[in-house]
Amino acid sequence: MNTSAIVMMVLMCGFVWGGFLFLLTKAIRSEADKS
Amino acid sequence: MSSKEQFGSRWGLILATLGMAVGTGNIWRFPRIVASNGGGSFLVAWVVFLLIWSIPLMMAEFAFGKRTRKGTVGAISSLIGDKFGWMGGWAALCATAIAFYYSVVAGWCVRYLWASLSGELATKESAVLWANFTSSYEPILTHLVVISACVAIVWFGVKGIERVAKVLIPTLFVLVVILTVRAVTLPGAEKGLEFLFTPDWSALADYKIWLEALTQNAWDTGAGWGLILTYAVYMKAREDIPLNACLIGFGNNSVSLMAGIMVLCTVFAINPAAQNEIVGAGNEGLTFIWMPQLFAAMPAGQIFMTIFFLALTFAAVTSMVSMIELAARNVMDGGVPRRKAVAWVGGAVAVFGIPSALSLDVFANQDWVWGVGLMLSGLFFALAARKFGVEKLRTEDINGEGSDIKVGRWWNFVISVLVPIEAIVLMVWWLWSAAKDNPNWLDVFSSFSVGTVIVQWAIGLTALILYNRWRIKRQEAS
Repeated sequence: MNTSAIVMMVLMCGFVWGGFLFLLTKAIRSEADKS
Repeated sequence: MSSKEQFGSRWGLILATLGMAVGTGNIWRFPRIVASNGGGSFLVAWVVFLLIWSIPLMMAEFAFGKRTRKGTVGAISSLIGDKFGWMGGWAALCATAIAFYYSVVAGWCVRYLWASLSGELATKESAVLWANFTSSYEPILTHLVVISACVAIVWFGVKGIERVAKVLIPTLFVLVVILTVRAVTLPGAEKGLEFLFTPDWSALADYKIWLEALTQNAWDTGAGWGLILTYAVYMKAREDIPLNACLIGFGNNSVSLMAGIMVLCTVFAINPAAQNEIVGAGNEGLTFIWMPQLFAAMPAGQIFMTIFFLALTFAAVTSMVSMIELAARNVMDGGVPRRKAVAWVGGAVAVFGIPSALSLDVFANQDWVWGVGLMLSGLFFALAARKFGVEKLRTEDINGEGSDIKVGRWWNFVISVLVPIEAIVLMVWWLWSAAKDNPNWLDVFSSFSVGTVIVQWAIGLTALILYNRWRIKRQEAS
């Protein structure tokens, strides 16, 4: 794989999947705090 | 609304809404579109529109449903006045018209799931199976099986939807992860990753890339359809809006990204010579003709083929359920009990889905007419938010009691200015694209003409406006 593809893969997967996991963790913590 | 008609937990709401958002478009459309529009560069535009189309519209829909506790017609009427109820009716019309043929699509998935399980796809050429299947009466049968199953789920109300979503959506995620891991571990899969992620920065200067990215967000996140509004009717009073909207947007696009990796790695590992043919084969061609061939050529292919069609079936059914609930919610708002409303909607979908089950031309026509109609639906929601007052909606509902994160004033600008511009540009572009190379662009009976859109929209809008007038008069009389 070329370098630009690797950089783009890390950025995109990091943003989309990382964003999803970050938001999910935030929601789980919020629910735990509420209960 | 009875107290029973409420999601039992936040996770029930999130999973049901994710089930609505994740549909066949994530799995069969996204990989093709990203592959034919500049790969990595397209992904940049796709992420931008997640942030300035999908998530802001989802927040607006959540706020509408939570504030009014009514379906699309009642919600718009309550927010900006009865005379605008037809705008909510348009969202209901589009979603219901899509349900007519989407049930057929879900039926195709069920048929191919059976063909994978039984080994029929391993022994029969997929192109032959597809040709025989679609030219027979079998699609009617599978369409009726799907609509019966979906009606059975919605019959039990939001609890039924929640129970099913809690099983199907986590399972769908696991299945897509299994397929993605299998695909990236195939010899030669790195070529697929390279193809998917290599950015072509010059492509970002091409307006078509941006319009395709916006279209993908408009069609595969479910934002602006009225479906999120419908599920928001059943959310708890102290439930968060902004974090849930972001979570659903990112969750939906996470599945799309996995599907893109899975499909392109499989294509490049198994049959790289045919990549252009596969990507250009259309949604049905990719899914029902090429994917079975690719799976058949890999070790333990029948197992992965079955997992693929199982995932596709789950994605289709959970989206279908939300469309039935949207239509039924509007009927229920007119005073009809749930089960009667669900039976009416189910019956209508069963009957009006038959033409699409029998003819791929009718199917393509309906997909075209109401797919573009969704952009008008998104425009109506943005205009409704603008007329009601975006600042009021943001401070009282989106950032109201129970919100885990606060949304800034940027949302006011995005929903009242950017989203309407995006919707208008998209509609004009799609209609212009359909007209420019088509000498029969005004032919009403052509599948992809502008004429067929104008006539069907005109009939729908006229009927909705007349019905709305009658509804207002009836209310005034009583």
